[in-house]
Amino acid sequence: MFGRALEYASEWLRVAFALIELEFRRLMHDRTEIYLRAFQPILWLVLFGPVLGALKAIPTGGVPYIDYIMPGVLIQSTTMVAILFGLIMIWERETGVLKKLVASPSPRMAIVIGRSFAAGVRALFQTIFIIPVALIIGVQVIFNPLYFLLALAVIFVSAGGFAGLSILVASALKSRERFIGLGSAIMFPLFFASNSLYPIEVMPQLIQWFARINPMTYMVSAVRGLMITGDLTGLPADIAAILIFDIVIFAIAAKSFSHIME
Amino acid sequence: MKAIDVKSLSKKYGDFKALDGVDLSVSEGEVFALLGPNGAGKTTLMRILTTQIPPTSGLASVMGMDVARDGAQVRRLVSYVPQEMSVWMDISGYENMLIYAKIYGLPSKNMKKSIMDSLEFMGLGDAADHLVSTYSGGMMRKLEIASAVMSKPRVLFLDEPTIGLDPASRKAVWEKITSLSSESGTTVFFSTHYMDEANSYAGRICIISNGRIVRFGTPEDLKRGIGGTKLSLEVSKQPTQKDMKAIRSMDSVHSARLAGGSLEIVLMAEGEKLDSMLACLSSMGLGISRMSSSQPTLDDVFLKYADSHDSRAAGVSGIKNTRDRIRKS
Repeated sequence: MFGRALEYASEWLRVAFALIELEFRRLMHDRTEIYLRAFQPILWLVLFGPVLGALKAIPTGGVPYIDYIMPGVLIQSTTMVAILFGLIMIWERETGVLKKLVASPSPRMAIVIGRSFAAGVRALFQTIFIIPVALIIGVQVIFNPLYFLLALAVIFVSAGGFAGLSILVASALKSRERFIGLGSAIMFPLFFASNSLYPIEVMPQLIQWFARINPMTYMVSAVRGLMITGDLTGLPADIAAILIFDIVIFAIAAKSFSHIME
Repeated sequence: MKAIDVKSLSKKYGDFKALDGVDLSVSEGEVFALLGPNGAGKTTLMRILTTQIPPTSGLASVMGMDVARDGAQVRRLVSYVPQEMSVWMDISGYENMLIYAKIYGLPSKNMKKSIMDSLEFMGLGDAADHLVSTYSGGMMRKLEIASAVMSKPRVLFLDEPTIGLDPASRKAVWEKITSLSSESGTTVFFSTHYMDEANSYAGRICIISNGRIVRFGTPEDLKRGIGGTKLSLEVSKQPTQKDMKAIRSMDSVHSARLAGGSLEIVLMAEGEKLDSMLACLSSMGLGISRMSSSQPTLDDVFLKYADSHDSRAAGVSGIKNTRDRIRKS
């Protein structure tokens, strides 16, 4: 019994790591998409940040406004990369790649999670591209390797969860055109109704409630603590919320994944 | 033990029966062809046998393992090459193989060697490090087959393995597949639209139409089943209904019909008694001015039994993919 469980676990990890490696190798060949997608978050930092910051209208707890929004912008852009990852899944369904994967000795759950964390790899590439730009325009990132690595782990796991969400949506929609519209329809409400651009406390009560169940709030809060403020009091709760989000999403996505194959 | 054993297998999508009570069995080491028009259920059958989708009812087993219950074991024993393109275009051929080698859990010690052996076996050794997006359609198909044979499967499922390939590539691909089957005893289960491939490379053939098996046997059996030599005769006068009846009742005649101005007679596969038949025709006053003969082909068998209708089950994306592949090569 224990032997079989161990065998299953090793098979599972093997497949998930192979799919993550696949994404890494793809990015080593061509990173154009990552560069293009980094353009939007940089615009937030270079244009939106200084303008709104000059108004001094938003209580940031003493942090410069550009520094305040950097984690939110980073999470928004990396999770957007993850959400659009569902597109790749739909494309792979239209070609034979997914059929071939499903007929290989890969547990379906491992395919879902491996593909999701492949999006995490993309998110990390994007982060590594955005951070230097943020430093150049004067964002003060805490220089602590441990904090930094932890922040990268949060971004990786968060992007994985959102990619799982996109696989879920991809299973339901089955067409690329519908998917692109829905991607932004999911991302923008989550972004604006989170603590990315302003603290939750300034929001109307109804939106505050939504922000508190919005997983992006916890992702931003964790990265902001680790990269900007150094205040880690909320970190355990943030990480717990992110993990719960991931687990729930993966469980549902794995179930709906069989649907995508029919 | 049977490599593949299928009993009254059905698959329904809503009211549409993709498979409607299929029975078939394939022995170990056999090269088996599945023929049928688009939408007949070939791909559905193959996807059920490779555990991708569950059957609605009936039983199917591969190497003695039930596909619905022991899916994980079945997947370790088989490889599948789908009809659509199934390689990652944005990495090299070697990297494609490497990812599958890891997914299949090939021992890491010999991994590089297994990959290069399979690539060289399919004639892709020199292109190993090129991006797949620079490959021709034929090379991509070879890469797909290379990655399928790398894990040394007991049963190899190929869904239209040579679709869109030029005649030289088709021949090259088939030489590899047949040598694999004869050298390592791999069972090969393939579908195709090319009758000549089924005729030359398959030990046995099954024709499927509207989700049902309509004919089953060796290529020779199937051809014998529709009669022997076909004669096309230009005769001096139009035979009467009575003449036709008399012709059809002759021992050596399988079937006869009037096509345009000529009389077409299909002889029995066994005991073609040409002289007595010709004597009989002249006794009816039918003089023969020209005669040509042809042997029955699998095309004739296929056209007779496979009910070719609109391929609604093939779907738009399937057709599009086929076209893309054809354009690429």
